[in-house]
Amino acid sequence: MNLILPDRSTRVIDPAPATVEAILIQEGINPLEVMVVRNGLLIPEDTLVSGDDELRIIRISHGG
Amino acid sequence: MIHQRHTGRFLCGTHLIADMEQRVSETIVSRQQIVPGDCVAVGLSGGKDSTALLLLLHHLFGSRNDIRLVAVTVDEGIDGYREATARSAEGLVRRLGVTHITVSFGELFGDTLDTILKGHKTQACSICGILRKKALVTGAERAGATKLATGHNLDDEAQSVLMNVLRGDLMRLVRNSGADSGGRFIPRVKPLMYVQEKEIATYLMVQGVWEDLPECPYAIHALRREVRSMLSELEYRHPGTMLRLLENKKKIETAFSGNTGGEPVGRCRECGDPCSGRTCQLCRIRHSLLH
Repeated sequence: MNLILPDRSTRVIDPAPATVEAILIQEGINPLEVMVVRNGLLIPEDTLVSGDDELRIIRISHGG
Repeated sequence: MIHQRHTGRFLCGTHLIADMEQRVSETIVSRQQIVPGDCVAVGLSGGKDSTALLLLLHHLFGSRNDIRLVAVTVDEGIDGYREATARSAEGLVRRLGVTHITVSFGELFGDTLDTILKGHKTQACSICGILRKKALVTGAERAGATKLATGHNLDDEAQSVLMNVLRGDLMRLVRNSGADSGGRFIPRVKPLMYVQEKEIATYLMVQGVWEDLPECPYAIHALRREVRSMLSELEYRHPGTMLRLLENKKKIETAFSGNTGGEPVGRCRECGDPCSGRTCQLCRIRHSLLH
């Protein structure tokens, strides 16, 4: 599974099924502070991802 | 699309938009934030919160003849930051057909924020906050506004409550900037005050207007940054924390009913602007930092 992190770097992680939330916590990211896009579509953090999924993690910038 | 942790609901894009429109409308109505006859100056930085605010207010009031919206953008002159968000703001007002007023620090104070803050970066947010407030109010006055709407969200409001508790600032804790001041201030309203930051970001992405814009480079110096991180962690582990903070603030406000022992609001002896104390914060900054 490919992860595109907020700083645009990429990581390849274990393709075994996991929730987005679990992956974020593993990466030390608070799910409330990011949005996650899978293969171009925004998904909630309870979504199960696996295999060839590509996840883009977008940090929500502060300030209005 | 999004899991609203504090309600337990899962919402698709369509229902998120509808939910936010309804909640913002309810906030406006229940707190009488905007009423027929109002001219609302909408603080529009071009960032996510003010963009969402203008979109929502335009949806709710854009077609009405009895409520006018005017966008006010403050240009602090922060190099490498403000240009991008200002472009976003200009694109939005053009798309919505909303009148747009820009007030710059250069025009009002004679210098950009970058210049003003030389040697004072650790106080950046405090100083900028005072100057921005003056610039926003100036823009609102130019628009003939009866209300000033800002994009403060639930996260912002909860952080402010916690910061005021940590600082022991009872006056700020119980202050209601939206209250009628008998004409001395343009009342400030915060229609997004019960909407979480993540909901706002998701709303913009669903609407196709999300932009990954930079954060203010001075934000690293702020206490708010640490409080934000702490509160975000608490909210994740204990959903509803931020909402409860705000609800308790309201109870404290009611219990004190403005009776905090602070100085009554008068007028600055130098510039005549409303303030508590003899000299307003802006005039004090003028003496120490501005030329």
